[in-house]
Order: sequence, then C-alpha cells, then structure tokens
Amino acid sequence: MKVQGKRKIWHDYQKEIADDHYYYVRSCIRQNFFPASEYYFLKILKDVLGKDVFDDPKHTTCTGIGYHADIIPFETIQTVVARHFALMTEAGYKNFAVSCVTSFGIYSEITETWKEFPEELEKTRIALKKSTGREFKVPANITHTSDLIYKFKGDIAEKQVHELINKKTGKPLQIIEHVGCHYAKIFPSKGVGGAEFPNVLTGMIEEWGGEVVDYPERRHCCGFGFRQYLVQGNRGYSLANSKKKFESMKPYHPDAIICNCPGCTMFLDKWQYVLSETEGKTYGAYGSGIPVLTYEELAGLVLGYNPWDLGLQMHQVDSEPLLDKMGIEYDPEKKYLGKKDQYIGQPCNIVASL
Amino acid sequence: MIQLSMKKNILTIGGGVAGIEASNILAGMGYSVSIVEKEVTLGGKVNQWHKLFPDLRDASDINDYLKKRVKQPEIMVFTNTEITSVKKTDDGFYAKSNRAVGFEAHAILLATGFDVFKAERKEEYGYTIYDNVITSVDLEKQFKKGGAIHTTGGKTPKRVAFIHCVGSRDAKTGNHYCSKVCCVTGVKQAIELSHLLPDAEIFCFYMDLRMYGLEFEELYKSAQEKHNIQFIRGRLSEASENIDNTILIKCEDTLSGRPLKMNVDLVVLLVGMEAGSGTHAAGELCKLNFQENNFLACSDIHLGRNCSSREGIFLAGSCIGPMSIPETLDNARSAALEIHKFLSKN
Amino acid sequence: MKSLYNRLCEDVRFIEGIKACMNCGVCTAICPAAEFYDYDPRVIVNQVMQKDDTVIEGLLKSDTIWYCGQCMSCKTRCPRDNVPGLIISVLRKVSQELGYFTESKKGRQQLVVKRNVGDTILKYGYCVYPRTLKPELHPEQGPAWEWVYNHPHEVYERLNGNFEQEGAGTLRKTSPEVLGELKAIFDETGGTEFFEIIEKYSLEKAQKMGMATSDNNLDAYINHVQSQ
Repeated sequence: MKVQGKRKIWHDYQKEIADDHYYYVRSCIRQNFFPASEYYFLKILKDVLGKDVFDDPKHTTCTGIGYHADIIPFETIQTVVARHFALMTEAGYKNFAVSCVTSFGIYSEITETWKEFPEELEKTRIALKKSTGREFKVPANITHTSDLIYKFKGDIAEKQVHELINKKTGKPLQIIEHVGCHYAKIFPSKGVGGAEFPNVLTGMIEEWGGEVVDYPERRHCCGFGFRQYLVQGNRGYSLANSKKKFESMKPYHPDAIICNCPGCTMFLDKWQYVLSETEGKTYGAYGSGIPVLTYEELAGLVLGYNPWDLGLQMHQVDSEPLLDKMGIEYDPEKKYLGKKDQYIGQPCNIVASL
Repeated sequence: MIQLSMKKNILTIGGGVAGIEASNILAGMGYSVSIVEKEVTLGGKVNQWHKLFPDLRDASDINDYLKKRVKQPEIMVFTNTEITSVKKTDDGFYAKSNRAVGFEAHAILLATGFDVFKAERKEEYGYTIYDNVITSVDLEKQFKKGGAIHTTGGKTPKRVAFIHCVGSRDAKTGNHYCSKVCCVTGVKQAIELSHLLPDAEIFCFYMDLRMYGLEFEELYKSAQEKHNIQFIRGRLSEASENIDNTILIKCEDTLSGRPLKMNVDLVVLLVGMEAGSGTHAAGELCKLNFQENNFLACSDIHLGRNCSSREGIFLAGSCIGPMSIPETLDNARSAALEIHKFLSKN
Repeated sequence: MKSLYNRLCEDVRFIEGIKACMNCGVCTAICPAAEFYDYDPRVIVNQVMQKDDTVIEGLLKSDTIWYCGQCMSCKTRCPRDNVPGLIISVLRKVSQELGYFTESKKGRQQLVVKRNVGDTILKYGYCVYPRTLKPELHPEQGPAWEWVYNHPHEVYERLNGNFEQEGAGTLRKTSPEVLGELKAIFDETGGTEFFEIIEKYSLEKAQKMGMATSDNNLDAYINHVQSQ
C-alpha cells in the first residue's frame, strides 16, 4: 500500500471549516450513549482551544432517525431544520456545528435541496413562520464536530499528555477508523478527504502518534440501517453488517476502533458483545473485544482526562486494555462510582467482563 | 521565423499519428509543413504500445511507417517545442513557440491528441494506493518490456480482473462519453496475458462490449473460445486491499442479479481517452470551441469533422474524440484534403 | 385519479434521485441490503423507470422496498447520478400515504417505528431517550446499558449531564414551549397527519388480521409485526 496516493487525495479534498463561533446542535444517540463525549467536546473547544460555542437548550432532535425510518415527511424535517437555523440566527451565529453524523447528512441534504429546488426553501419559510413565527438564515458554514477536532488536532497535539503509542513496545497503536456513512457518502466534497479515503479521523490519529489500519471492509456500513435496527425482527441485518467488518479487521490486530458517528460507535461496541455471547467469537487480542471510542473520548484521553470522566465505563467492550497500552492510569475501583464516589450499582456481568 | 519560398505553409501542432500522416500528404501535394511536437520524440502514444488490436501486430510497424512518412524534404520537425501564442494575420496565422522559432502559416492543423485518464481520480479503485491495481497502459509497458508478469509481491498471478469503462461513461469523473477503444484493448490484453499466464483465470468486468470495428467481435469470440477469458457483466464498484496484498473487488453480476465479490491477484484498469492537455492548451491558444466532453469541436459532426470552429484551423485525430489508429490515419488523410481544399480557394 | 408514477414525481427527492439507469450494477455491488437480503437496488430503479403503475403498485405492497438501510453508499458511486436510496424513501412515503404498507410483513413494522421513535420525538424532543430503551426490548445493549437504564440520574450526573433537568446540557429536559413548537411544526407540515395515517391503516390491518382488541389495543399486532 502506498500512503502517498492517499495523501494526494486528502490534499485535493479540502473542506472549508469555520474557525470559531459555533452554534452547537446535539446528537440523540451521542447524548444517550456517550454523554461525556458531548460534555468534553464543549470543554475542549472552550477551555482548551478558547473557542466560542453556543449550547442552546431550545433545540430539539433534527428527527433524522425518524426521517430515515420513513415516519417523518420531508416537509416536516425541513421545517425542524429551519427552526434550528432560526435559533442559530437569533443567537447571532452563522457557523453550525453538528454532533450527529445522521444530522450532518440531513443538514447537508436539505441545504443542497434548497439550492436545487428554491421552491422547497420558500415552502419551508412559510411553514416555519406559520407554525412558530420564526424566521431563519441558512448557515454560512455547516460542519460536523469531528471536523472541528480535526481542524484543531495540531493545537490538541501541543497540549497532548499521552500519545497513541503502545508504551510496552514503543510502536504506534494500530487503530481502525470508521467514518459514518452520512458523513461523506452523500456529498463527498463535504467530508474531509472525500468518501473513499476520508481523512477526518486518520488525521487526528496520526497527529496524536497512532497508525491507521486499512482493511478491506473499511468503507462498509456498520449496519445501523435505521428501521433495520429499530425493529426487533430486523436486527440481524444490523448485526451482520458489523460482523462483516469485524471479520475483515481481525487479521490486522487493531488496538482500538474510532468512529465519528455516535451510532456506529454504539453498534461496533454492542455487536461485539452480542457476537461473544451468541457465537463465542471475539475480535481483539486474548479473547477480549476491540475497544470502540468516540473521537471526543480519544481527544480526551490524549489530553490526559480521567477515563471515567470521559464515560468509558458506559461502553460494553472494556477500554482498559487500550488504557494499559497507552500507559494511562486509572482507578478500577472508581469505574462505576457516582459523582460523589458513591456506589450507584454496576453492570451485572462485571465479574466476567469482556 | 520560418518562411519558405512561395509555397504555402502549414503549421501542424502535434507529431503523433495524425500529425505525421496529414503532414506527409500535404507535403506530397506541394505544401511546406512544420510539425511542432512538445515531447522529445515524434510518434505520440503509439510509442508506448506493444501490440495492436485486433490482430496483435507489433506496434513498432506503425512506428516504422511513421518514421518513413515524416522523412520528406518539405516537412520540418521541431521536437521539444511548444506553441505559446497564435495570432491571426492577413495571410493566415503567426505562431510563437517556447524556443527561438516562430511560424508563419497559411493554415494550422491541430493534431494534439489525447491523454490517458488518470486512474487515481477513480478513487474507489485505489490506483496509486493499492499495489496490485494497475492500468492497461502500465500492463502494455510490461508487455513491451518483456519478461514474466508478477504481482508486486513477486507472485505469479493466478487470477486477474480487467475492469472496463474506467474514467468513461461516468458522471462522477465528468466523462459521460464512451471512449470506444478500451473494450477491445481489454480483450486484446486479456488474450496476451493468457499467453504469459496460461494457468491464470482471467476475467473481464464490462457493462457493454464495444466490439465496433473490423474483426473486433471475432477477437471477443476467440477470447472466449480459445483463451478461456471469462466475461462478467458488471461494472467494478470498489477495490480494496487484503492483508496479503491481493485485491478484493466488488461488483454485481447483473445477468444473474447478484452481488459478486472476488479476491484477485491483479486488477487492470482499462482507462479511457481524455482530451489531452496539449489539446486543451492549443485549443485555448487558437480560441477554438470545445465540446462538452472537452475534446475540440468540429464545425459539423457529420460533414465537417476536420474543420474547427475557426476558418483556417483544422483538426485531425484524437483531439476530436477517442479513435483507433486506423481511424486516426483515415481522419488525418481527410484533414489533409480539407486543408488543400481551403488553401486552393485563396 | 393520479397515476402512481406521477405521485412519485411530485417529490423533489424522486426528481433528484432518478435520472436514467445504465444497469452497471455498482449500486447493488456495495449495497449492504443486497448482501443480506434478496434485494437489488438496480432492479428497483429499472422497475420504477418503466413508469408502469402495476409494477409500482407491486413494489409499494412488497417487502422489497423495506430492506434498504439508507446508508447512501449507492449515491457515492452511481455513474448516472441516480440515488436508489432516495427513490426508496419516496416509495416508502407513498406506500404509507396509500395504506399499501400494511400489505407486506416489513411494511407493517412502520407502526412499531412510529410508536417508538415517532412518539418519543413528540413526547421528549429526542428520537431516542433513555426512558424508552427498555433492556428487555434491547438485550443487545448489554449489561452496561441495563445499568445506565436503572440508574440514569446517577450515571448521567456522573458524566456532567443534565438528564431531565431544565436548561442546557446533555439529555436536558426539552421545555414544554419547545415541544409545543415542535408539535406545531408537525401539525403544519403534515407530520401529525402522517402519524395518524400510519395508525389508521395499521388499525384496519390489525382488525382484519384479528389482532386488535375491541377497544383498539394493538399490542398483539405490534408483538407480531416487530418479530417478522
């Protein structure tokens, strides 16, 4: 494999990412399953990088999961999106930072639709005004929050406390990066590095000392499939897609998987658990799983934050093997404790964990 | 400045098959011709080929032919030279070059040819990234060099996939047109490869097989019957690299309506023709119209194939569109006649 | 009476998604649904291209259109700029508008989606909310999630969340005013009506299948369709 070829492609796909002053919209799945990731995203941007990010309680879900499961009309989601643009406009912002990758796809798809079909934009203006009295401007810049961490990866590297290196061997960690389908497959030019060889996560990983592993099913969907997961009877589809990826990546012995889509992170974590329970198969070393992290968790780890503050205890596949490799200290006793170090229960399988 | 006697002068930009053939005929008619060629040698792309479809004759036959054709006293050759400006004059045109030589011409012939599609633009195929993905041009070079065909790991390929329509018939690369000659090139190379790798399985992944020319269809038939080449109707969607450096290809077998995945040792991308950078540059300098597909526009696609959008500037060869060597020779000869018709009027 | 094909054409996503197919197969080649189901996006595009209402009606009533996972891998590759995934979205919409979705096993599952995600959106302002992800319905979420589900306030507090609280923050409570605006948008743009259509046709089908109680409780119907 010649990496220079990839670098040329990355050079050609330069996406415009705003520098500061972002209106932040949250992700349903990231909040449910990786809540600390959103907290630390804001913390890193504000406290570490000195940026202005507005966290508005008045926004809601974009309804993207419902939309892709075909229960939300296109007109409805356009108007919900327009409402968020109105809130952004009212708060005095022009740059829109999106936490969820499905949402990012939605905001991109709708703004592009409005360019191709201005009558849809007009209809939406009228609908929003009628239903909420609000008016909106289209953002000057729409980025996914992983684009921002990518953009500032150098600044983060300057404050890095831990490197993505295996302390025992001295070699870079072998990391699988998985980019959400709706990040770049819909509009390749809206993804850093395009759709085939995206650079948004590779850039971060390499900047912080790690090595990215390419494997045959890298571009394959994790299998969320919206209705294919939401409805019990369809879940085999979702599982099968993730399994395909695990089988493909296993020979490369990866140390971790990093995702920018919260859904992908959740599925690649949980389906490893299901496969170990139902088929006895595991994909990491020594019969364990491959830790799956959000890019915020990865950034947080390299900046030296406490893994349990970063929410790694909520993952099903244990991250401790990765933490050990990186030489990160953590207190196993405190993993499942509450804010005041009080006992708040623990997962029932703790004795025999992955 | 070059100005010869009372003869009419013609400036031919491009010293490949079209440029040399047209210039030879014009010289034979009594014109004085200057051929300006930006490369160090004449001959154009045929210099890179080993054997030609449909009969697998040596490409060097064409080289030899062109060498003879260009040896005329009325033809002056300027290699390693590029035209930098073209201005209209009372008699015709005046062109400057990047060397210390300018050209007065009563007519200009653009024979600036094609470039091969840069396969790295088709990112999902991994050219220049995955070791065992090569183009038909790369393979032809290997054939010409001679010797055994190996993967980059030094292995003898047991399974090879030829991929049709690379860079052509493709909204994503911006080339909607069919490049015509790549299909027969693929069939030819598959047959040649089957001689070098008698134990290998060789596949051609196609959408439509453009066997338009004399003996092309027969070549395809022979590929199937005598050389065991297998043809699968499905365009390559994606190539990725396995841990052992073999390539995983994904397409659909559209005739059976099923997705198909295969591990192969070598992938050969049949890359199409694009309007060359020389064609683009010369067309701009001469202020000519281009087609939507970036080749030069003729004044009438049925009746004026060698006339550009400007009087006195003529077109020959693949700067007009993808064409084979015999077609280029035909086209060059008719260009010479058009130029003669034009110059006889004045 | 509008033809089905014309109905599809009214949706800009259909206009955007269907140019003309050259049957190259690159979409089916990388479609996850084509890998795991008897599904072929290329064939579906060709069927729609016929503009034949009998064929289209067949699609709208079939399981076929419900296999797509909306990954949009097809959009990235199509050399004619078609988007099978978008065409599927429009087919699914029309299938529901006309009540045809209840004719297929997979189509009938739309009620499950509406009652989970749809109702969660209007009730909480989220598509997915901790309160709705019951471990017994999501065993795949594992013991880690079960722990969170049983101790949400403590776990989310530990991670600096604002679960079910007012103000900004992770998993904050969506205020009644905001939920009101969301509902107003749904009412204005046909979202509410669409939910009602899904319920209406599902009830009719459940009654036909003998899976509705006399007071229109659809639990038995839901139990049945979600496992198909």
